[in-house]
Amino acid sequence: MKGVPTELSPYRLSRRAFIAGLTLPLAGAACAPSPYDRTAFSIPDRSAVGLFPAANYSVDFADLIIRGFRELGVNLAGRRVFLKPNMVEYEPGTAINTHANVVVGAAIACRRAGAAEVVVGEGPGHRRDIEYLLATTGLGEHLRDERIRFVDLNLDDVRLVRLKSWYTGLSELALPVELLRSDFVISMPKLKTHHWAGMTCSMKNLFGTVPGAVYGWPKNFLHMHGIPNSIVDLTATIRPQFAIVDAVTAMEGDGPIMGRPRELGFVAMGSDLVAVDATCARVIGLDPAKLEYLESASRFFGLIDAARIGHRGEAPGRYATRFDVVPALRHLWFPR
Amino acid sequence: MLHTSALPDSLVADRGATTRTEIARIRTALLAARNPDGGWAYARGKASRLEPTSWALLALAREAGREPDVSVLRKWHMEDGWLSDVSGVAPNHAFNALAALTLLENGSTTAQAYALATSLVASKGVRGDQVSELRQDNSLQGWSWIDDTFSWVEPTAWSLLVLKKLRSRGTDLPGMNERIDEGERMLLDRACGIGGWNYGNSNVYGQELWPYVPTTALGLLAMQDRRDHPIMTKSLQQLQRDVRAERSTLAIALAIICLRVYGIVPDPLVDDLLENSRTPGREAGSADDILGLAMALHALVGGASTSFTW
Repeated sequence: MKGVPTELSPYRLSRRAFIAGLTLPLAGAACAPSPYDRTAFSIPDRSAVGLFPAANYSVDFADLIIRGFRELGVNLAGRRVFLKPNMVEYEPGTAINTHANVVVGAAIACRRAGAAEVVVGEGPGHRRDIEYLLATTGLGEHLRDERIRFVDLNLDDVRLVRLKSWYTGLSELALPVELLRSDFVISMPKLKTHHWAGMTCSMKNLFGTVPGAVYGWPKNFLHMHGIPNSIVDLTATIRPQFAIVDAVTAMEGDGPIMGRPRELGFVAMGSDLVAVDATCARVIGLDPAKLEYLESASRFFGLIDAARIGHRGEAPGRYATRFDVVPALRHLWFPR
Repeated sequence: MLHTSALPDSLVADRGATTRTEIARIRTALLAARNPDGGWAYARGKASRLEPTSWALLALAREAGREPDVSVLRKWHMEDGWLSDVSGVAPNHAFNALAALTLLENGSTTAQAYALATSLVASKGVRGDQVSELRQDNSLQGWSWIDDTFSWVEPTAWSLLVLKKLRSRGTDLPGMNERIDEGERMLLDRACGIGGWNYGNSNVYGQELWPYVPTTALGLLAMQDRRDHPIMTKSLQQLQRDVRAERSTLAIALAIICLRVYGIVPDPLVDDLLENSRTPGREAGSADDILGLAMALHALVGGASTSFTW
């Protein structure tokens, strides 16, 4: 991998340092500083996460995802849907990227569910050569066959957007207009361990919405403001309406690039991205309360409490295992 | 109407009529994609941006055998002495360096190029603590993409190209040679074990990371005056191996441009690039990939390179 660990950066703002220095979002506030707009968020009483079996990549993902939409109450009629897969690098035999069959299956499912428009977009954080990635992953050919438009989020026009939480200490961020003009964003990550953040799933996947042509490759601007902080601010601001996680073949160990493929055999879905990520974390043996970004997000817009997360499809216990992580992150494991 | 007759034979090098026709087609497509403000976007219908505009100006100028018409860069929006793509966002050092190279190609805008180069000399990526997870020297400060971030390969390569070009012309900005020296050391430090570069980490958690063709080509271009260094020898070989697998317009075009500078005539790659550009429905190299069009034109036109012109 890639990037510089924020934990190692002398410029990283810790949450405590950030809150102590927070000025902009607190203008006029008389109470304790809040790193998010208290009026813009609420925590659901309960959330639902679906785990749907997919033994391999030859299953009909459109059917599987349609089932997920139905069981999770997703209504896409007339919506402009933006699918955001995870595509970073390519190396044969690895499990780095959201599989093309899952992405195209989701696009077909969205159309069948009545979406007015479906666009797929990604802004890879390492390789800026999108033609290479689309060709090697097979996604480009699949999208052409299905006449689905792809947008390189690294190079799209951008608009400055005010952030809705300020864990990074930033007040605004340039984001791609193709993403902003959609009205239903679906985060489509590959479930992987991440050697700096612990895990990358539906929330960390949003790093790919940050335009490289503005901030560079890798997205070091986000690293400098803290990876967990950036994950929270991006998710709180973009507020994807849904997540579809490719956990058919996941990655353990030195993810998100150099780890080992690990067969899990399911696709996770849900409208509460915090709950989706928390469920996936539990499946791979990581305690969501110890993942800084999930703990922060659970304070104001999602659930990590297993007792309040209902399940559709298969019970998480069916897939429960423990993923290897780099030694520095073994404290994230549940105790055996 | 294709303007094949207007192409000077010397610029078309050894390529035949097919190449000339393709060059003319790409030129026509590139001109048609120009925005009313005189710049180019990454894709048709989008706002003009510094990177595709600079590449388009350089490619069209090379194809026409004249200085680039840089009037669009003269009036480009500026913030704090930098050319700015997005108002309110930190300037992008890599693309300012590319724009400075473009401005240097026109005799009337060297002062503007010098001003940008002076800003680049004053700019440094942040110094990082030494950490065991990364096998690299974090004390070395090349150039960052934007302020207050670490040094990476692409902005360092572009910045070195500008400063070395100025040095080759006898210009000596205060502090320039020291920055060139540190930028070179940073690039050498970040080279992958097998040669070449990726975005800028070569080994993390003990695992060797692999190089990419575009960044390797840029690294080699920036280090063209150090071509006898073992890392350059290894990187040049790696580039020629990797470009057989990385078949994008971006990769092939940059590889051609780089190999020519190193005195290697990449005829098979030119054929590959022609095939790419003629394939309908490709994601890049089409009219909707304007950066790819400009790079392809630049690579296909070829021609002799002077010092730090590519």
